[in-house]
Amino acid sequence: MLPVTHYLFLSFALFFIGLTGVLSRRNLIVKLFSMEIILNAASVNFMAFARLYGDASGQVFSILVVAMLALELLVALVIIAAVCSRWKSATPDDAKDLSSQLDY
Amino acid sequence: MLNHILSAFRTYMHGDGAVLLPEMQLFLFAIGTLAMDSWAANTSSEKPGTNLVFQQNYWNPAIALAGTAFSALTLWMLRARIMQSGDLAGFHLTLVVDSYFVFFSALFLAATALVILLSVNCSTISAVRQGRYFALLLFACMSMMLMVAAVDLVVIFLAMEAVAISAYFLAASPSLSNRTPSAAVKFLFSSALGSALVVYGFSLLYGLSGDTNISQVARALGGRHNVAKVIALSRQSGPQGLQMLQLLQSRLPEAVRWHAFTLEALPIAAFMLVSVGMILKFAVPPFQAEFNHENAETDFGIPSAVILYLSGAFGIAAVALLLRLLFTIFADSQNIWWYIIAGMAIAGISYGGLASLRQTNLERIIVYLSIAQMSYVLLGVVAANEGAATAMTYYLLTYLFTVTGVFGMLITVRDRSTSARTLNDLRGLRQRSPITALLLIVFVLSLAGAPPTAGFFGRYFIFHSLLETGHRYIGWFVTVSSLPLAYSYLRIAVYAWRGTKSETESAAVAFGVSEAIVLGICVFVSLAAGLYSEPFTRMARYAFGQ
Repeated sequence: MLPVTHYLFLSFALFFIGLTGVLSRRNLIVKLFSMEIILNAASVNFMAFARLYGDASGQVFSILVVAMLALELLVALVIIAAVCSRWKSATPDDAKDLSSQLDY
Repeated sequence: MLNHILSAFRTYMHGDGAVLLPEMQLFLFAIGTLAMDSWAANTSSEKPGTNLVFQQNYWNPAIALAGTAFSALTLWMLRARIMQSGDLAGFHLTLVVDSYFVFFSALFLAATALVILLSVNCSTISAVRQGRYFALLLFACMSMMLMVAAVDLVVIFLAMEAVAISAYFLAASPSLSNRTPSAAVKFLFSSALGSALVVYGFSLLYGLSGDTNISQVARALGGRHNVAKVIALSRQSGPQGLQMLQLLQSRLPEAVRWHAFTLEALPIAAFMLVSVGMILKFAVPPFQAEFNHENAETDFGIPSAVILYLSGAFGIAAVALLLRLLFTIFADSQNIWWYIIAGMAIAGISYGGLASLRQTNLERIIVYLSIAQMSYVLLGVVAANEGAATAMTYYLLTYLFTVTGVFGMLITVRDRSTSARTLNDLRGLRQRSPITALLLIVFVLSLAGAPPTAGFFGRYFIFHSLLETGHRYIGWFVTVSSLPLAYSYLRIAVYAWRGTKSETESAAVAFGVSEAIVLGICVFVSLAAGLYSEPFTRMARYAFGQ
């Protein structure tokens, strides 16, 4: 049985990978994935702590995080799809080059 | 059988149901709006032109308004009940009805009602099947009320996400705008990042306390020094160290391997994550990070009423939640973290003020300045005494009505005559319609904090509490950094007052009934709270149960 610190290190690593992705990438879909990685890091934390304390509410929280993640992903992808069809790209920088052709 | 069901229902309504009743009413009215809308669409498509009442489409806003009114009535009754018998709690201590909830719910209901009234005559909204729009407003209001009622991290998270998803739909609904709103994308990403950070902070808080109820979390955080001390002692040799090691092994076996430092560092990390995440949500940075192809003149591509709701009500909801978290979970370490909050507040005020100088689009100016306005509220957290609590709630109360007034002015001026999108469009407003210009100036002065208006007292109370608690330097900092803010607001007033008629001039500005009601309420609050502030401060004091 692994001690809780190992899980904490895993979730810290996931958190920083996600945060770096959100802040450095320009592509909207990659940004979105990075955000989901942060949420997954939180989910790992909840599971680890739920086992540490033998408490079910952490597991419930983790499942709810996954459910909300799916819901948010759905809404976000719809919005990105709407934007992509207008910009012909998921990256705002490409949209800048196209902006002369679009009525922005 | 029926009796059983009825008695079960009655027991429910006396227990948990009463806690959730205002939210449930809003939910039912939202469903009603949707049903009414689809029914009206079916009947009017069968017999075109016969059903004039539904083509006018006054039913949807009427039902939505009735929903807010009913919910407010229930809230009033709940208020009487908690005055008699103390705070209510339900659903295994996850939701409470206390004076804080009552105050902020009333504020959200007022904001929703005002936005509904402002949307009645909005051309972009009434062009589509507007039932969805009003239902979304009610759903958003319901989730905001849940957000201030929740005292459990799980429920806070769920309510926060419900608010965010309603906000995404409101900002991005393609039927509401003919262009793809790039503001929606920005809103989506900053808000989603904010909630991701907050959830990670929540996971650390849960890990530190083993509980999700915020008062239990607070208690565990308060006791963490003792745990850290026990861990440190257990590393020592000798009988005492052995004793502590045995204690640790019996109570929390994993902690034998922990470093005492983690217990001190993790709360700080959790605090940073939660506060930065919430600030990302309420600073409405949707509108911050510019995309390159946008310049300072373009508007957001979504109706003004929606922008008002996003920057007014949603901002206040996020601040209310942040205040509850700060004053329960992190209350006892306030002397440590006030530096961080003060830094954020000063950064927000200067950023909002300076960024607004570059803008010429009216909505953009107001939205950037709303970041600064929300940062003022954080200064109350820095002072954190009794006066500061009143100051913060008073500030939020008056801010809501004044910002609604400004947006109401923009909506009326835009819809009725030449579109007032940029500062230049305001030129000669005094000659076109003196009352409009005067009202706009009243609201703008109130937002800037000029003496005879509500905004002045909001600023005064916050400064007073800062000076009372000895934060004189922060007072100086804020005075200097709010100069661009005042300049930005006064610029709007000057444009509205001076200047001559432009050539492309149309008829005078005329108010609809609904706009007149909204503007009347807003101008009443922003003048009355400035001239005779006693009833308003009493309301503000009520929020923290004083």
